[in-house]
Amino acid sequence: MLEWLALKASELALRIKAGLIMLRGINDFINDYPLDEILLKAVKGKEGVYPFGELASYGAAILGSPINRRSNPRFLTIDDLILVPPAFTPKRLEKMAELLREPVFTDVNLEVNIGGLRSSMPLAVASMGSTDIASRYSIVIAKAAAKEGIPYGIGENVHTVRGYDKRLTHGHPSFKERVMAYLTNIDKYGGVFIQQNVEDAYDEHWNKVYSDKDLEPYINEGRVAFEIKIGQGAKPGLGGVIRMKREEAIKVKEKYHFLEDPEKTSRKEVERYSVPGTYTADILRGMIRLMRTSYPRAKVWVKVGPYRDVLDVIKVSYEEGADAVIIDGKEGGTGMAPSVAMKELGYPTIVGLIKIRRARLMGIDDKISLMLAGRLFNGAHIAKSRALGATAIYAGRPFIVAAMAKGEVGVRNFIEATRVEAQMVVSALGKYDVKDLAPEDVASLNRDLASALGIPYVYSSEY
Amino acid sequence: MSKVHPAVLEFEKMVKDRESYLKFIDEWVKYSWKWARESKYVTVFKIQASILHAIREYLDSQGFTEVLPPIIGPVTDPGIRGAKQATVDFYGHEYKVMSSAILYKQYMAAVLGKIYFVSPNIRFEPNDSVFTGRHLVEFFQVDLEILNGTLDDAMNVAEGLFMYVTRYVRDVHGKDLEKMGRELPHYKTPFTRYTHAEAVELVNKLGCSNPRNTEILWECEKVLSAHHDSPLFIYEYPKGSRGFYNREDPSKPGYLRDFDMLYPEGFGEAISGGEREYEPIKVISRIREAGEDPNKYRWFLEMLKDFYPLKTAGFGIGVERLTRYICGLRAVWEARPYPKVAGIGPAP
Repeated sequence: MLEWLALKASELALRIKAGLIMLRGINDFINDYPLDEILLKAVKGKEGVYPFGELASYGAAILGSPINRRSNPRFLTIDDLILVPPAFTPKRLEKMAELLREPVFTDVNLEVNIGGLRSSMPLAVASMGSTDIASRYSIVIAKAAAKEGIPYGIGENVHTVRGYDKRLTHGHPSFKERVMAYLTNIDKYGGVFIQQNVEDAYDEHWNKVYSDKDLEPYINEGRVAFEIKIGQGAKPGLGGVIRMKREEAIKVKEKYHFLEDPEKTSRKEVERYSVPGTYTADILRGMIRLMRTSYPRAKVWVKVGPYRDVLDVIKVSYEEGADAVIIDGKEGGTGMAPSVAMKELGYPTIVGLIKIRRARLMGIDDKISLMLAGRLFNGAHIAKSRALGATAIYAGRPFIVAAMAKGEVGVRNFIEATRVEAQMVVSALGKYDVKDLAPEDVASLNRDLASALGIPYVYSSEY
Repeated sequence: MSKVHPAVLEFEKMVKDRESYLKFIDEWVKYSWKWARESKYVTVFKIQASILHAIREYLDSQGFTEVLPPIIGPVTDPGIRGAKQATVDFYGHEYKVMSSAILYKQYMAAVLGKIYFVSPNIRFEPNDSVFTGRHLVEFFQVDLEILNGTLDDAMNVAEGLFMYVTRYVRDVHGKDLEKMGRELPHYKTPFTRYTHAEAVELVNKLGCSNPRNTEILWECEKVLSAHHDSPLFIYEYPKGSRGFYNREDPSKPGYLRDFDMLYPEGFGEAISGGEREYEPIKVISRIREAGEDPNKYRWFLEMLKDFYPLKTAGFGIGVERLTRYICGLRAVWEARPYPKVAGIGPAP
């Protein structure tokens, strides 16, 4: 009798646990993602760079550096690097001579060229695809990014799943709505980069874009880039999963590979696995050449996951005259990836930065932009990445979080706060142009990372 | 830039003022019947008929068989510099209108040996192609293929064909040409054959800067064309600038066994051709360069396996461009009735 009760009790406990696991996706995200920092900025704008809630405020708070880790990370991150301002600041003196007053952080110039597109700061909105969440917030993010003058990406499958100009799915903007929401709001900065995967290629996505009359003026102005996708951080080597209504699936049955024949299944929705696409150095080389021949007025970007041979990708891209390479580390966001992929496949974002640093040391100069992606979201991440050879950071999730919190205003607030934060740290380093940042401006809290990046380890007698 | 034909110069002058050119071309295309009956164009259309006649006569005499071209199919030529394909619904399957019959040429060369199509093509060219004077959305190609042919075989046929056709037109339409003020130069054979690298070096020397390893830019192509009295060949293009079916030179990796022929006097590109890739894995890898799924080309790949090794070479020559050259016209939109030009419609 007692044994029976014990058995029932453990069964019940497991069932409750199983029920809770269903909430896991949300739960993991809330616990693990730096929501506080992003939400504070989204709601309060540039005031959000200070850690003030409603209770602690200016004059009433006593603050200091947090010494505790919130968690015990499995691997090193960009937060294992610190920025190290000097006391002597000759560049500040130069700036003072120019301004004839003491410079302040708002004097810092953040303008950069990112992959052939002019940007108001070293930050780009990652190309997000057709998933429900990316699609729903795409328009507000597009408008905010345009008005703030940073490049904006449109991911794969938007054309095939959501439609090129007419909407294919209820409540989701088409490709054209997204791209025009961005382009009609840009001023002197900004540009759009557009992905095409194997499935989009079937529909000749880039060809369509390139000869679209509404886009033509922007193409002529050099505001359009095409982004080759060779995987992503959360699932390097794997493609995406798309869920489609059965009727829709039957229509495109010939184009795409479905695991289950949509005509034979009784389920309402079927899954299709989009393929990662096969590459070799030769294929990539040929692809870039083909793009430069077919789309001479568009820039060419290449996005890669945390692959071990990323330096070869950078080398081929550089030799063929591509405009940018993005390395997306394993912490990179996604709408859909198997747990085992996120946990086991690929290396952390910080290793991507080591690769970028090595590429620059190998002589890959700034004719090509190298961008870092994967859980990057603040002004310090921008400064650290720039100091070590990256052109800009490339982020997706923060914009969605900000959009969820406060719509277009939230996204603009977040960008503005990030801008101010970047200006603050750059000025603290005694520099007034983000392009002046150099390896001297960073140091490492970790010995291995220090030697891999060729920067000082702070806890050493040589430092 | 010694000898650019006055018609080419006139075209260049026209496109300088983009707005008024667009206005002109809009009218030209939308009301084409208004000029089609002018005596100049009546002559052009007659010469065009003779050109086609001469082409058939020459190719037939060389042992080629004319084959009916395909019009639609599940796939078509993807190697068309940024132009879009036209799609039609074929009983629930998505079919393409031929942008060229290339895939079918290899098919029929395997069947008949030496074949040609007089084939209609549709390419939705980018909007700016309206300013090139060389692009029509709807055009005809004489497309030929030689089983077990080589790059040299293809270039030789191209040269022979050009010489035969121009001689024929001169013989039959001497007076017409004279009336149109068109004096065809006296050509020297064999035509000069440059490798792509030599051609790039030459145009750079002639003052047109062209990067290595890319197609010859239109501007530079014109400079090269104007520098010659006879047509010229450029062969051995770097890989990546061409369609997947162009064969990579096994003894020179990174370079293709392909060629272009340019008309002299600034008229530019006439012919594209070469040997075809026949190793399935190479073809598949080249298909990926265009970012595409080889599955789309399944019938073609299966055929390549069945007919392995399907070694062929061939080329396509645009009928309107040839007409434009022979008659000395400003642009291809003068070289056919009811021209279709990128972005302009509706028109006949």
